[in-house]
Amino acid sequence: MKRRSLLAAGAGLLAAPGFARAQSGDVVFLSTQLRPVEEATRLRNAILRPAPVQSTFVTEEPQNLTVRMRAEAQAGRRTVSLVGALHGELQPLAADSLDALDDVAAQLADRGIPQNLLELGKLGTGQQRYIPWMQATYIMAAHRRALEFLPAGADINALSYDQLRAWAAAIQQRTNQRRLGFPAGPRGLMARFFQGYLYPSYTGGVVRTFRSAEAEQGWAALKATWAHVAPASTTYNFMQEPLMAGEVWIAFDHVARLMDALRAAPGDYVTFPAPAGPMGRGYMPVIAGLGIARGAPNRAGAAQLIEYLSRPATQLRLAAETGFFPVVRAELPADLPPAVRLAASAIGATQSARDAKVSLLPVGLGDKGGEFNKVYMDSFQRIVLRNENIRTVLDAEAANLRAVMNATAAPCWSPDAASDGACPVA
Amino acid sequence: MNPAMTPVRRLLFWTLVAVLLLWVLLPIWLVAMGAFGGRAAVFQWPKSLLPASLSFDHMAAFLAVEGVANAFLNSVIAAAVTVVLSVALGAPAGYALARYAFRGADAFKLLVLLTRAFPLAILALPLAVGFIRIGLYDSPFGVALMHTVLALPFAVLVTQSLFMGIPRELEEAAWVFGCSPVQAFFRVVMPLALPGLAATAIFAFVISWNEVFAASVLTVRERTLTAYLLAVLSESPLHTRFAGGLLLILPSVLFVFAVRKWLFTVWGISGR
Repeated sequence: MKRRSLLAAGAGLLAAPGFARAQSGDVVFLSTQLRPVEEATRLRNAILRPAPVQSTFVTEEPQNLTVRMRAEAQAGRRTVSLVGALHGELQPLAADSLDALDDVAAQLADRGIPQNLLELGKLGTGQQRYIPWMQATYIMAAHRRALEFLPAGADINALSYDQLRAWAAAIQQRTNQRRLGFPAGPRGLMARFFQGYLYPSYTGGVVRTFRSAEAEQGWAALKATWAHVAPASTTYNFMQEPLMAGEVWIAFDHVARLMDALRAAPGDYVTFPAPAGPMGRGYMPVIAGLGIARGAPNRAGAAQLIEYLSRPATQLRLAAETGFFPVVRAELPADLPPAVRLAASAIGATQSARDAKVSLLPVGLGDKGGEFNKVYMDSFQRIVLRNENIRTVLDAEAANLRAVMNATAAPCWSPDAASDGACPVA
Repeated sequence: MNPAMTPVRRLLFWTLVAVLLLWVLLPIWLVAMGAFGGRAAVFQWPKSLLPASLSFDHMAAFLAVEGVANAFLNSVIAAAVTVVLSVALGAPAGYALARYAFRGADAFKLLVLLTRAFPLAILALPLAVGFIRIGLYDSPFGVALMHTVLALPFAVLVTQSLFMGIPRELEEAAWVFGCSPVQAFFRVVMPLALPGLAATAIFAFVISWNEVFAASVLTVRERTLTAYLLAVLSESPLHTRFAGGLLLILPSVLFVFAVRKWLFTVWGISGR
């Protein structure tokens, strides 16, 4: 008797998956952005629920995005309609998975998306492959406790790398703790610090100047600064956590990875641009875009959702909810939440700094982006953490960098001067 | 406990018990504290062992995340199907390996193990393409099939040694008294094998419950809880991680609790 009921239960379990539980017809929106549970929830509740099109927002690890899109393309049956990802993550999809969006772009002509951003969205194919969705950048945040140690005469909105080091040194001297922090953990975004901040600030380039004498100076300066950097920095992925825990007083990170701290105690923190070096104040805007899968089950719905997501009102709402900022023409309202206002002020100060030096995300590296980052992270580990000779390391890693550039034949991007063919490593 | 224990040995025995209990329970307790202790308590140091303030907000907020309920259901379905399939397929294979000498038995054992030899990351693309073509993509049943493949080596090898430990004579005696081989299996061998089968089931359950990669590549909407949450948990605020961690631990604990009486007999503790 008992056995029979067990069997029945087993059969029931086997049959259960047959019931279709997902509603079809809605737009499946796959995104590598806004992955953290709380951000995804805010997007679903505040932005996608009132949208004119029903959608299912699904998050995806960046490395799985390519696999899934390629698998669906090969099998010839799409589940995903709309893809939201960073510029660099969309690049490898351009060839076989992203539909041309020139019609959508034409529709959005009056939204005021800057021309250079739209150009990036073509991914070098001559047709629009993604529509810019939102942008962010990297800023610095400091606890107010750190302010009393700021070197005399230093303007927090126009710091130099030397002043940052002096500041961290003063804190260490007086509190006996290393309180400057960087996101150099396994999932941290430290590579972008080198590509968008240290290199442009010290050398005015990223690839061409990789092993230049100026680069040598920059690394030496970073190494000197590292003596005052919290040793646990190599484990930090999101600087909001050590900031909230009080382990770190001054931090550099992606604005979205600082938001929690700013949100938890907006009164405790100040935000300001990253420091400047001899060649200017390097900074790197981060662009996320929306693409439509080729052969999408619901292309019209996806296009409608793009239209909705790039409305100024939606973009402002997104900024208030998540800390990603509009790419369209939209005036930030005065009644922003305090955390968003903090982030916005640092971004504004960065963009309008007189010595600002814009560095684009790597363009044209395709799936070699990881190897490109590895060159900078390996140099960092060898020079700063393992104390190897700077010149030797730069010469050795330059060979790796050259190999990546030659393999992809990627031409130079800003701030490096343009090149014919692969960007040369001088 | 043996009444003949000397006081010193008794002390040692209980110390060991206490250490083992702490070893297992302390982390779970700290995770629970993180989940229910409020946002600020997560960053408190030194940690207090008693909750300063009890708040169910995180847990509630967490459970309210869109899709968590569906993902939980998917996880349960995938794990249940994996348990059923891997015991149903693994036990006969294990029985055959234990009772019959046949040509290629060793090669078969090696082949079974081979399914664990390939890193899933390499197989991800062809697997996903195949699953889409067959129509198993984006369903918990497809995930369960994948998990069964991953769990089968354990099921086969564990049940093989299990059946080898059950004397053949018992089975033969049953035949003598008029049982058919099938009857003998179900009436004599099966009851003796139940504890081991329970252990096999736990293995299969845990493998399915914990597996992230296949589950996230093979599904889009119908993610399992682990794939839905674990992948993003490492990028979430600490208190969310604790809430999610607790939610992921609990079902495994409950499952082990449910089959514990069979497990105890495996360890030679009779107390059922």
